[in-house]
Amino acid sequence: MIRYLLKRLFWMIPMLIGISLISFFIMHLAPGDITTTEAGFNPKASEESRQKLRELYHLDEPVIVQYGLWLERMGKLDFGASFASHQRPVFWETKDDQGNVTKGLIQEALPITLLINVLSLGLIIAIALPLGVVSSLTQNQLPDRAITLFVFIGFAIPGFWLALLLMYWTGVVHDWLPISGLHSLHYDQLGFFGKIGDSLKHLALPVFISGLSGLAGISLFVRNGMLEVLHQDYITTARAKGLGENTVVYRHALRNALLPLITLLGLAIPGLIGGSVIAESIFAIPGMGKLFYDAVLMRDFPVIMGILTIGSALTLLGNLLADLAYAWADPRVRRGVMS
Amino acid sequence: MRRDLVIKALSNPLALVGFVIILGILVVATLAPYIAPYDPNAIDVKAILLEPSALHYMGTDGLGRDVFSRMLYGARISLLVGIVAVGIATAIGVVLGALAGYYRGWIDVVIMRMVDVMLSIPTFFLILAVIAFLTPSIWNIMIVIGLTSWMGVTRLVRAEFLSLREREFVMASQTLGAKDRRLIFKHLLPNSLTPIIVSSVLGVASAVLIESGLSFLGLGVQAPQASWGNILTDGKEYIQFAWWLSLFPGLAILITVLGYNLLGEGLRDALDPRSANKNK
Repeated sequence: MIRYLLKRLFWMIPMLIGISLISFFIMHLAPGDITTTEAGFNPKASEESRQKLRELYHLDEPVIVQYGLWLERMGKLDFGASFASHQRPVFWETKDDQGNVTKGLIQEALPITLLINVLSLGLIIAIALPLGVVSSLTQNQLPDRAITLFVFIGFAIPGFWLALLLMYWTGVVHDWLPISGLHSLHYDQLGFFGKIGDSLKHLALPVFISGLSGLAGISLFVRNGMLEVLHQDYITTARAKGLGENTVVYRHALRNALLPLITLLGLAIPGLIGGSVIAESIFAIPGMGKLFYDAVLMRDFPVIMGILTIGSALTLLGNLLADLAYAWADPRVRRGVMS
Repeated sequence: MRRDLVIKALSNPLALVGFVIILGILVVATLAPYIAPYDPNAIDVKAILLEPSALHYMGTDGLGRDVFSRMLYGARISLLVGIVAVGIATAIGVVLGALAGYYRGWIDVVIMRMVDVMLSIPTFFLILAVIAFLTPSIWNIMIVIGLTSWMGVTRLVRAEFLSLREREFVMASQTLGAKDRRLIFKHLLPNSLTPIIVSSVLGVASAVLIESGLSFLGLGVQAPQASWGNILTDGKEYIQFAWWLSLFPGLAILITVLGYNLLGEGLRDALDPRSANKNK
């Protein structure tokens, strides 16, 4: 297992280099120089801030030197400071001479996005598993047809549109749920459970919206996986030796159908992180997606580059965890990995 | 595709429904200038935020523009972006996948690592980042969506090539002295066509969703050019007063994406014997 882990960690190095190359390349896509107005750089920006940008990315050096320096800074997780007037560090907190700590932008936004993604993964599994199982057990009958219809609509519905409709329905027509932000104004006066309740109310819609397409995808995946497994010989054997239907379905079939789900959840991470842009900007949730969106609107390059890199690194980490979980859950893979 | 395959595909009810929807959108988009009752960009200050009526079938927006006319022109954008973006992605994917699957060895390793790297960057972040450094326009959107969604096709074509290469008819052709080019274009590519078509059709669906999302966020098709996504931006603005601005474009996107998905899945069921057996 350790050897497998080391091997996987080693594989991440060329991946990270690839990611750094792509993000470096994107920065140079801008016509001319990113400090020029053609690149959408604020025309009112002073010559001083332009100079700062040039210094940050060493734009006066040859390209290869620029890349080397960029790689070096990535290695140190140093993404510089935001161009916004608060000039906060992009990634992690810094201390100035007087010992004042300035929190990093990603440092504050990341936990929020992770929380939303973990909650929507939980929601996806809680709803999609039963849907997929029911669908497979009633193949081509009414429940299966209804669930399949739901899946197709779930794939096709634009998340931001559903978000608008739900905002209108629950926030404007009825006053059930708050429609933006993370906390109510009176959050600080609430007790412990009051605070949790308040946060959950604010998170309900964003979590649902970010989980929506995953919900459809995983239901379909579980259904097809179950159908495949249910036709295997060992299921016939289990039935033949007189096991109850529940034991057959849940102990023998479902557990095997779920194995590939681990990998799928790992692969879903970039979609979830990227998808947070729409949910968070609609509901004004101060997570990574909103931070990124605002940075794109303001052409805040250090923040854009920082989030792009950190988001990709997180994806790699997620895939690694998924692979490890798979090896842990499936003895066949585990043995193959060890040898 | 041969004619009997087309008939077979369209005898699948899902594929037929999808096909009819897409055909409908194609007709509407082509005929937009003739059907549209108003100039989609004509501002009318005396007709701001009117409810749907016989004069304005889908009401008017905050500048008094006719929503129905804008929806028709939006269909053109959606169709164009979806098809061009997927065209770019499929072209890149087929070339890279064919190279990797046919030549294997280090070419395969390099191409597959490129795919892995691209897949590990959250797609929507990547697209937004590129747009931040360029300027948002319909052409940039199409190119960016195309350049960030070729990985699936690459993997698919590579897998098809790897398995086809081991098949007897390919071996036989090779033994008879067929050149690389003949093997690729005469045997491998035509036999990989079905999954490529299916994945392209499904790819258009996701390109349409991405375009509408970008336009909704103000980073896609720019006003005054109408797109379903940017009509929805207005819908958000006026959500308390003008439900029609939110309802119609959203439904249009939903139906379009549903159409491509149904067509894609239906084609897969009809043309791919493996998946048809599995799901029936």
